[in-house]
Amino acid sequence: MSRMAALLGKELADLRNNPAVFLPAIITGAISIVMPFLIAIAVPYFSGERLADSSDFRIALEIYRDQPATHSLDPEGAIQALIFQQFLILLVLTPVAGAMSVAAYAVVGEKQARTLEPLLATPITTFELLAGKVLGALLPGLVLATACFALYVGGVALLARPGVYRTLFFPRALLTIFLLGPLASLAALQMAVCVSSRVNDARSAQQIGALIILPISVLLVAEFTNNLQLTSRLVLLISSVLAALNVGLMAVGIRLFDRESILTRWK
Amino acid sequence: MPALVASHLTRRFDARVAVDDVSLELAPGEIFALLGPNGAGKTTTLRMLAGLIKPSSGTVDVRGRIGFLTEAPGLWDRLTVERNLMVYARLHGLEDPARAVDEALDLFDIGGRKQDRAAQLSKGLKQRVALARTLLHRPDIVLLDEPTSGLDPESARDVRELILRLRGERRAVLISTHNLDEVERVADRVAVLRARLIALDTPAALRARLFGSRVLVRLAGPAAPFADVLKPAFADVRTEDRTLSIAVSDVERATPGIVRALVQSGADVVSVVADEAPLEEVYLRLLQKGTP
Repeated sequence: MSRMAALLGKELADLRNNPAVFLPAIITGAISIVMPFLIAIAVPYFSGERLADSSDFRIALEIYRDQPATHSLDPEGAIQALIFQQFLILLVLTPVAGAMSVAAYAVVGEKQARTLEPLLATPITTFELLAGKVLGALLPGLVLATACFALYVGGVALLARPGVYRTLFFPRALLTIFLLGPLASLAALQMAVCVSSRVNDARSAQQIGALIILPISVLLVAEFTNNLQLTSRLVLLISSVLAALNVGLMAVGIRLFDRESILTRWK
Repeated sequence: MPALVASHLTRRFDARVAVDDVSLELAPGEIFALLGPNGAGKTTTLRMLAGLIKPSSGTVDVRGRIGFLTEAPGLWDRLTVERNLMVYARLHGLEDPARAVDEALDLFDIGGRKQDRAAQLSKGLKQRVALARTLLHRPDIVLLDEPTSGLDPESARDVRELILRLRGERRAVLISTHNLDEVERVADRVAVLRARLIALDTPAALRARLFGSRVLVRLAGPAAPFADVLKPAFADVRTEDRTLSIAVSDVERATPGIVRALVQSGADVVSVVADEAPLEEVYLRLLQKGTP
């Protein structure tokens, strides 16, 4: 494990010296934060039309009617709470997608920079190598996601109806940010690293790793269209599936990481 | 006892045989050079010896730790020299990584550049850092893949001095190289590889085997009268004006006797030099012959 920690330290130091790699993640994270504020706060403010007056948001009132924590919210506040909660999942995905560019280069990048062979000449195991690489991309992504969440909550507390921010501390919201998010990120990053160890081109790894966004985007759309309610139980269920997927992906990653062909067949 | 024994190493990549039935031994304190044209299987052989790839058949028996300097320095450009070394010290599980790094920085005289990013270093300095990294864990066997490739003469000399220092420390060193001058200067034994081992011996023995060796003796006067003095002991004695050219099997062993015989017969010896074929000639002849 100390070898994994050594590699992780190297990855983080490398990223510290190259913060530009996170610029796309920061930009998309910022967009994810701003979007719900535009919908829930800015548009009604500038149009002079309250969300509660629109029949499109009637479902929000129904969803929150039974939840004690929202009893204190007025109809406008309840709709805002729904919007801010629905956009949480986007907030989780955005920094993950950005961090994936780091993971996609994990093996391909080392090979291209000709730093992989000396690394493989040390006693590091494939598990330690892959885990160090994945964590090196995951941890900064999670820090970014947490920072975005803090900004999000601060913005909601400041700009939304009183009490709306409390809904962001519901178990469902917290599970989404601090369990589903990291597990989805981990799965995406592991996929990217797996692919990165089999292709010569980082873009291929990035594209295939990004596939994890698709099922989560489906969840987002299903929620927006009121075809699905992402309850705490459902978040836990999806998280369990992702946890199992992550274990499988690590096993697959180790099998796919063929040191010999990486050294001898890649140009 | 050899530090490393490779027996009948063969490595195939699909239908292509990259390395074919190569056997060699490496002794502590020995510098062994692996020569061969591009694609001859040198890097593949080194990778098999380092345990990075498996041979298709054959075995590698290693007694001690291995340090492998890859063909490219392979430093992480955005990290400092110190950080590069520190990561490797920890990857090797050294007890006191910071101390090991400090010692390596001192040993290779790069302490003044430890806070520089690797990208800022010259090629020669990068190679020096890569060598420091290779030796961080005090390996008994050091495998160097083209260690002076692309270096300027001064940097190449520095690297050669480091390699000679390794011999002084009783480490077994194997160098893969194209640089015949380097081999001439440092190698105790040479193997010429073209998938198979074409030859394996000391540089002097290879030279003698292909070209023979000659001793050139310049006299103060005409050389012809003194040829007969040497002919009982040496079959091939030629003269040209004031110079005698004598074919010998071993220059170092034969030269004192030649000089003694000439002086005793009244010759005034002005100079004595060994007339050896350049290693390049030996190498090219071996490749032309192409058989062990």
